[in-house]
Amino acid sequence: MSVRPYSPVMQGRNFSIASVLLPLGVAVLFLAAWHLAVKGSGRDIMPAPWQVVLGIGELQRNGLLVPYVTASLFRVSWGFIIAVLVGVPFGLLLGWFRPAFMAFNPFVQALRPISPIAWIPLAILWFGVKDIAPIFLIFLASVFPITVSVMAAVQNIQSVYVRAARNFGLSGLSLFRRVVFPAVLPQIITALRIALGIAWLVLVAAEMLAVTSGLGYLIHDARNAGKRYDLVVSGMVLIGAIGLILDLLVRRLEKFDEVRWGYGQR
Amino acid sequence: MKLIRTLAIVLTLWLTAITLLHGGLNLDWFAKKSGTGKEQTFGVGFLPVTCHLTCPVTHFINKNMEGREMFEPMRFSGWPELAEMFLTRPKEMPATFLLAPMAISLREKGERIKIVHLGHRDGSAVMVHKDSGIFQTRDLRGKTIAVPGRFSNQRLIIYRELKKAGLTFDDVRIIDMPPPDMPAALSVRAVDAITSGEPFMGQSELDGYGRVLWQAKDVWPGFISCVLAVNEDAIRDQRADIQKLVNGIAASGKWIDQSMEHRRDAAKFVSKNYYNQNSRLLEFALSKPPDRVTYSRLAPLKADFEEIVQLGKEAGMLQGTVKFEDYVDDTFAPDPATVKPQAFEVKE
Repeated sequence: MSVRPYSPVMQGRNFSIASVLLPLGVAVLFLAAWHLAVKGSGRDIMPAPWQVVLGIGELQRNGLLVPYVTASLFRVSWGFIIAVLVGVPFGLLLGWFRPAFMAFNPFVQALRPISPIAWIPLAILWFGVKDIAPIFLIFLASVFPITVSVMAAVQNIQSVYVRAARNFGLSGLSLFRRVVFPAVLPQIITALRIALGIAWLVLVAAEMLAVTSGLGYLIHDARNAGKRYDLVVSGMVLIGAIGLILDLLVRRLEKFDEVRWGYGQR
Repeated sequence: MKLIRTLAIVLTLWLTAITLLHGGLNLDWFAKKSGTGKEQTFGVGFLPVTCHLTCPVTHFINKNMEGREMFEPMRFSGWPELAEMFLTRPKEMPATFLLAPMAISLREKGERIKIVHLGHRDGSAVMVHKDSGIFQTRDLRGKTIAVPGRFSNQRLIIYRELKKAGLTFDDVRIIDMPPPDMPAALSVRAVDAITSGEPFMGQSELDGYGRVLWQAKDVWPGFISCVLAVNEDAIRDQRADIQKLVNGIAASGKWIDQSMEHRRDAAKFVSKNYYNQNSRLLEFALSKPPDRVTYSRLAPLKADFEEIVQLGKEAGMLQGTVKFEDYVDDTFAPDPATVKPQAFEVKE
């Protein structure tokens, strides 16, 4: 029997209708409020929703939409995936080996709250202003949340799993591979989901460097262009929409059996 | 493990696809190489303001006349990133357009850079809201004025005018603000006055809510906001490159000033290919009035800089510890009287 991660009330038909209508209603309300606020202000600096749609249309006509989205996805993909490749093993290590935790945890906790914007001068110093510097900033922003979440997941693993596994004669690497890692996998997926959101969040800051493409760059460029706030908001809307799609994609991972069992426990 | 294997395959495919797509769409990886292979070029930093106009104009004219790029114009969105790149990676970007007091201040702090040429003259204004009661400098008392940065010459021109009116920095509130944000701030009257290079001042005028309190050219004739600064290693090792750049800038400046037609052409090709601004905006800043910003007398003169340093000392911006000969190398700059405008016409 499969266990669904949602509460029974939201299951079945009710769930699917509500899941479409409720967010749609909020979106309509938001757009209406936005439109009225712009009209009511009597100024033409802040763009109305339809002007933003026209702005996105203009980007498409000028052949910028796809290249900019690609550039941003490229930087976030590399930054995030490198962060996963570094952060997950590092988090597992810190969670499992007490001395490693004692040695590195203060260091990780000290680096974690530093905004990527503060790293911009160092990123330029080390990597110049081509693609590597923004990738580095995105990596920095996402590697610490991943490390800390994975570390916490390993530390909070139910001791009955480990004891049972030891009774079956498992130890060392096989204990880790066959029990510890599967046990924390659901939390790792959750951590990745949050970290991907953060990686996407720092895009605008990362593209403050002198790259000449990307949605974050679009926002800086539109500010420089003089009264193109329609394009500024277009960039914001595109970042939000793609962020939503990325989140939906990562949530698909929760459907795998290796992960789904973790949600049944709650 | 099914999940891990699936993830590894999907992510590898995704990374490959997005990298190739980015390379193709944004980095010209697959474009046919034109000309005789890649030549060694160097970066020159600039911001999309009229004070830096000679950078894209020189690049454009050179590319069109010689069919190759003399240098790589590197566009930044703000001063801090530009300065960081210039100071930390001089091999990639040995030259940049920079605020004059910032260049002098960097020299005072021991950076090995020199001013070799000017980028423009004039081309700044102080704008107030059209409905405000500010009609002369004295009316700025108690008001908030936005300037582009601590080491901007706009801050100095405010200081200079306040002094003439018997006021000091203590009588006003000066705040730093990126120039692109200034017009909007003035329109909602978040600040009382704004000052930066064009075209952001012209924009507030064009949009109808800004009024010129004074133009830099009227209160400080020959006003210098930005200069061309070069790393000393490049001055030593790349003399020919730097000389060519300076000659190009001097001749392009003369070309811009040669006729209204050239100004209009420059507004068009620069806004389209370099600044990504509305060409009407740039055209406005370059033409109303025609001497709002000028590009002809660009050799660095001692008297101009000594005045900047003197004011900078009084205003607490500069120490005054370096001499003109330390922070300027005027051996590259041709005599403006002998510079011929670029022989270039835009083909329709």
